[in-house]
Amino acid sequence: MRVGARVQAVGVLTGWGVGVAALPADARAAATAHPVVRLTRPPLDGERFRRATRECLLGVAAVQQMLDDAGLDRAAIAGPRTALLFVTAGAYGASNVEFLAGRAGTLHFPYTAPSALSAEVAIEFGLTGAYVILIGGPTATVDALWQGGRMVQDGRCDRALVLAVETFDECETLWRRARWTLPVPLVEAAACALLLPGSAEAAPAGGHRDGALETAVQQRAGSTLACGPLIALALAREAGGGTTSVRGTWRGRQATIEMTTTGREARN
Amino acid sequence: MSGATRLRAEPVSLVAAGAVTPFGADLDAFWSGLVTGSDGISTIERFPVDDLRVGRGGEIKKLRPLPSVRRVGCRATLLLLAAAEDLLARAPISAEPERIAVVLGTALGGVGELERAMAPGGRPRHAVNALYDSPAHALARRLGARGPVMTVGAACAAGATALGTGADLLRADVVDVVIAGGYDALCRFVMRGFDALRSLTRERVRPFDRRRSGLLLGEAAALVLMTREGASPGPRLGRLLGHASASDGSHIAAPDANGRGLELAARTALDEAGLTAADVDFVSAHGTGTLVNDRIEADVLRRVLGRRASEIPVNSIKGSLGHTMGAAAALEAVMCLMAGRDGIVPKTLGLEEPDPVCELDHVIGAPRAARPRISLSTSLGFGGCNAALVLEGS
Repeated sequence: MRVGARVQAVGVLTGWGVGVAALPADARAAATAHPVVRLTRPPLDGERFRRATRECLLGVAAVQQMLDDAGLDRAAIAGPRTALLFVTAGAYGASNVEFLAGRAGTLHFPYTAPSALSAEVAIEFGLTGAYVILIGGPTATVDALWQGGRMVQDGRCDRALVLAVETFDECETLWRRARWTLPVPLVEAAACALLLPGSAEAAPAGGHRDGALETAVQQRAGSTLACGPLIALALAREAGGGTTSVRGTWRGRQATIEMTTTGREARN
Repeated sequence: MSGATRLRAEPVSLVAAGAVTPFGADLDAFWSGLVTGSDGISTIERFPVDDLRVGRGGEIKKLRPLPSVRRVGCRATLLLLAAAEDLLARAPISAEPERIAVVLGTALGGVGELERAMAPGGRPRHAVNALYDSPAHALARRLGARGPVMTVGAACAAGATALGTGADLLRADVVDVVIAGGYDALCRFVMRGFDALRSLTRERVRPFDRRRSGLLLGEAAALVLMTREGASPGPRLGRLLGHASASDGSHIAAPDANGRGLELAARTALDEAGLTAADVDFVSAHGTGTLVNDRIEADVLRRVLGRRASEIPVNSIKGSLGHTMGAAAALEAVMCLMAGRDGIVPKTLGLEEPDPVCELDHVIGAPRAARPRISLSTSLGFGGCNAALVLEGS
């Protein structure tokens, strides 16, 4: 799949720190005996966030990180011409467990919906354009990159944000039941890519073969599920940009997309 | 009406549909239940509801046994597989497995499995199936589909966005066939949640009625087989001409007070279809029966339809089935096409005294003889999700 959009910026937060520079060379070794590498709750205060869950705040922080990466202010993305595509495999799990365990109050129920996270992001940044929420792992993120790129290409929006958030800490026991499908460490992450109109026919560059970035992300970041393809794009940007093949694998299925990334030094 | 701002999208064929609803185990039961004004609401029997304020909903009492399917524990998956059985009986899928996509909308996914996993004596392994995309993957395996498998989690607007996403996959030639739709199963998780929010009515669901006092939940699955125009010989149900989604960006659980997101979605979907309000023959409203939703939605429809608002029939099927969440928009899309096929628009069950603030040309008291060609279907969901579909009957 190819789309006529380019990746202008990527914000990345992981349990390892801010940005891809914080990623260790070998996540498995760096995690030592810890199966889950946790992201702390972002310090976002204020009345509006009093009920917001940790994963909601991570979404907000990832978009802010993307804006910082792009050198843009919030006004640049506010309004109906920005599409928001949110992806997660299981960030809603913490809220669901909380609600089922009876530990949450009455007004917590709306936060069990995956759309609560993207809603907090949309409210915070004034995003009122096209709105897609996909549930799944890395393949869903590749699908979202494709869909966001199509929206930009077709003029359905001027820019698209592809946001992914994954948390594991509150459901560690349950996630560890799935360890036969997910290599440890499970690394909490939040990432956001900004897609702008661009050429679909840019010459291949960077030398990243199918799957090479996917392997690099697993090696350096660990299992970040839906955030993986966005971390891959950030790595590609860090390496100077160009046309990059990003692959996602989930539940025995693969999806691949070729995207042009702007190198970090070339931002405008 | 806003003018067309971009090229009209290529229409997509909706070849056939399959469904399971509180009315029965197939599409015919769904349609005849709507046309005859049946009431699909009953006391929930499948799980305990004694501790809830409201224990009624649109529960499916009986499902047909599925041939050649090993025991399925997940209720949501079971509903999907039953709807697929109905669909396949009407239109076999003929495409390479890699060229078949599955795109489903849901509000709850397989959360019932998480409930089981966390119950006393429950098995944590069930939690793996609680991931919201599990039912879609189960359906893809059942169908032998090896193309994209996508789960849209846009709450109660998810079914509409799933159909729109499926259309995009076809237009981009990513696949040749899309099985799209929506589903959700009733479970204690969701009943407890809406009960706690005091959103459920103790009376009947009365969309747009002055006495409306809340919604009731229902369970269902609805699937459509989509292809590119001309790719499927023989009769078809109709076409999807336009789709759009929009975020309110205003509240976690309540719709925007001015309905700005819904209005943008409806206008953009008409733009994508290359149509205006003058072309619309029928509106399938979200119409949940809550005080706020119905007033805001009626306001939006009056603004979008303009002077024709008083002459375009509008209905809501949530009085008949309850709010089937992720399945709702897909069921409503199918209803629009069947209305066009049979020349009859089902009434809004429960609507007897229209609220003046919800003034529209509601279908009240009896089904209306009309053969809508162009239908507009609107949907809203938690998280400021809005979506609209523009459909054309055959």
